[in-house]
Amino acid sequence: MNLAPYMAYFKKSFLNRSAYRFDHIMSIFSNCLRMFIFWEIYKALYGGRQEIDGVTMSMVTTNFVLSMGLDAVFYINDYFLPDKIGNGSITTELLRPMSFKGRMIAENMGNAVFNLLFRFAPAFVVACLLIGILPPASPLMLVLFVVSAVLGYGVLWTISFAVQMTAFWLLNVWSMTTIKNVFVNVLSGTMIPLWFMPDWMEGVLKFTPFSSIYFTPIQIYLGQLEPGEIAIKCAIQLLWIGVIYVVGDILWKCGQKKLVVQGG
Amino acid sequence: MVTLENVSKFIISDLSLHIPKGECVGIIGASGAGKTTLLKIICGLLKPKSGYVRVLGKDPVTEKGRYKRDLSVFLVGKSALDGYDTVKQSFELMQSIYGLPKDSFWREYEELAGRLDFQKYENKSLKSLSLGQRMRVELAAVLIGNPKLILLDEPNVGLDENGKAILWEMLEEKCRQGATVLVASHNLTEIANVCTRLVLLEKGHLLYYGTERNLRSKYASIDVMELKLLGALPDLEDLPLKEYSILGDVLRISYDSNYLSSAEILRLILAQTQVAEVNINKPDLSDIILQIKGGKSSEFD
Repeated sequence: MNLAPYMAYFKKSFLNRSAYRFDHIMSIFSNCLRMFIFWEIYKALYGGRQEIDGVTMSMVTTNFVLSMGLDAVFYINDYFLPDKIGNGSITTELLRPMSFKGRMIAENMGNAVFNLLFRFAPAFVVACLLIGILPPASPLMLVLFVVSAVLGYGVLWTISFAVQMTAFWLLNVWSMTTIKNVFVNVLSGTMIPLWFMPDWMEGVLKFTPFSSIYFTPIQIYLGQLEPGEIAIKCAIQLLWIGVIYVVGDILWKCGQKKLVVQGG
Repeated sequence: MVTLENVSKFIISDLSLHIPKGECVGIIGASGAGKTTLLKIICGLLKPKSGYVRVLGKDPVTEKGRYKRDLSVFLVGKSALDGYDTVKQSFELMQSIYGLPKDSFWREYEELAGRLDFQKYENKSLKSLSLGQRMRVELAAVLIGNPKLILLDEPNVGLDENGKAILWEMLEEKCRQGATVLVASHNLTEIANVCTRLVLLEKGHLLYYGTERNLRSKYASIDVMELKLLGALPDLEDLPLKEYSILGDVLRISYDSNYLSSAEILRLILAQTQVAEVNINKPDLSDIILQIKGGKSSEFD
């Protein structure tokens, strides 16, 4: 497989992001602002207490700083395919001698690496200095956190991929994307740590992919999981990537079939 | 190179044709005649409802991946290039996507940029270019490399006369180099000048497929020659003319070019008298097409 075109798209999306400097500076500022707002909200909610239900303020702070940081890195353009279907350029994309899905991944990875270096890192440093977060449970846990975070990105990417595929049938995917974003924001533990969810909700969440996106890596970072549990959680992440990708790929093939039968 | 047998899809109905390698084929038809549909069937973007299609020996829908590198397609209004990229960035991506050798690719780029005159704005983003400027870049993107099959849908939209002339010149060159070119256009004169074969579509039906010469000899073989005479009126009794008339010193002759050549007529006349001026008028291609449509439409109604 020739990787050169994918590397070219990776480089292109990385460089495109760096071209918009004002947007880039403002996004660092907005990330810092979000973290401070959440910090103030949780400070008020804790009301000076050290812990609530065994969850310390430091754990909560670490959760939202890391999950918001990962959220900034994990930015995926949910309108990549819908826009191409809308303006008809999907036809020319399908004629290129390269995988369209590979191109989607390459462009998203370019964005992710840019966001990691220039959005997450500065905001993370500011948050560490001014808010303070817990250190990783051990160097090994930090490494496993990175591995799990990459898998979490894979889960989020496949969800976005599957949702984007609905554009073959829907004229406007805004509602689908919004529903997806609500589920991801609420059920992945970004806004409210999953420790505070009622037991029945935690039971339900076990059967959804959302907690695999941000919460699993953060649990690993905080050392809340035993080695066996880490292996199981990472296997669950891989399973979700596989299952959702297969669903998305079936939709992709059906969508292409629709295009060649009905035109587009 | 391209074979269609009894293909039907949308307006296209029971269409059969075979296009050999190295031909430059013009697809002519009014809006809605099925030109774009035909091109999309050939490049595998549409699956025929019925019939058999083979392009470069493969099924264009199921085996498209095997010859994407040999195929170059321009569909009007569906740009293959990203408007946010500069001209040069677009070509850098193309070089990577098609895995073309860098040296020869950039040599060809320089040549195309020179001929199509877009070097001066090669560092501008495509969306900042005018329609005509962007079309020059898009066409260069279609022609670069060595595609075996080039499909163009209305490639001259937005091009000025100079741009059109260069486009047709380059298409001729590509055919000479062995590429097969299919061009759908409304511009009959340009297509007829360049294309070695014509496909005439009317409401999805194939009205004619063949060379322009055959089209003329089959449907419009009557040419008109006008001669401004300086001497006596020649004796034309031996020539199988359709008709002739004299108006002042101008002799007007109608003849069937299938049976009589203009050279034969001139030889006979010049042997008898002196001529100041000669004009030979062939029927206009659009008139011939209208004539065919008029004659054939009843078959399909």
